[in-house]
Amino acid sequence: MTQNETNWPALLRATDSAVQAAAVRELRDVLQAGLRVALNGRSDVSEAHLEDFAQESLLRVLERLEQFQRRSRFTTWAQAIALNVAFTELRRKRWQDVSLDALLADGERLSEPAMMADDVLGGDEERTRLVATLRHAIETDLTPKQRAAILGELREMPFDQIVELLGTSRSAAYKMLHDARRALKQRLQEAGITGADIQNAF
Amino acid sequence: MKTGDQRLTGDQVGTIVKMLGLTTDREFNCGECLQHVGEYAERQLSNKPVSDVIASVEQHLALCPECREEYEALRKILEAGQ
Ligand SMILES: [Zn+2]
Repeated sequence: MTQNETNWPALLRATDSAVQAAAVRELRDVLQAGLRVALNGRSDVSEAHLEDFAQESLLRVLERLEQFQRRSRFTTWAQAIALNVAFTELRRKRWQDVSLDALLADGERLSEPAMMADDVLGGDEERTRLVATLRHAIETDLTPKQRAAILGELREMPFDQIVELLGTSRSAAYKMLHDARRALKQRLQEAGITGADIQNAF
Repeated sequence: MKTGDQRLTGDQVGTIVKMLGLTTDREFNCGECLQHVGEYAERQLSNKPVSDVIASVEQHLALCPECREEYEALRKILEAGQ
């Protein structure tokens, strides 16, 4: 942690260009050191990546400077942004070959009985009923895109990738997923399946 | 991409069902979570009491694997700096 933790925003906005440039350099070093700790041991991250991520993060932090509300230390807030930049980029690389068609095709196939693996259905009666209700709800209560989004989420596809595949904004995609989850939850509740049943079955 | 086997596994059904159990009418999205996750991480590390905002972060982290991954990385950085 640096000496000037409380002064960061002022220094980064300083009108004295030497002061401002020094603060920017120091912040970039802080971000890069943090990223090095966080991403240590990952085979897909090189020193050059760390530099790129730090530089991109720095720009993002400077853009959002007025959003800092002093509810945490400045560097903590900035590191969170840097991690978001770095992980978003790493996830994008990992998933860049997946198409919306593949995900939508998954959604179409969900209605087939084979969609649920045997181990899901092997349990007791209550669990079988829960799974059947859930499957029916996914099939009938969701739009194809909502189904694709839920399936992407289940397969641990990064949210940004789901956003890109759906060809929509982050907030629209989030709303799509949230509405889908609420619809499924409501359908389970209507079938008399409570939160406790759910926890017991899995 | 893991779409080779089209069926949902027991784990995946478990995941969706837990997700539904955590779904509430008003939720933080990833952007709101990012804005407050630093405060959340610092409070967690110093055992400070939770606020409404912090509870919303906690709920979002339980639902969102990406924000959780970033939060865990942030914890690593904060712990290394102490
Ligand atoms: Zn999130």
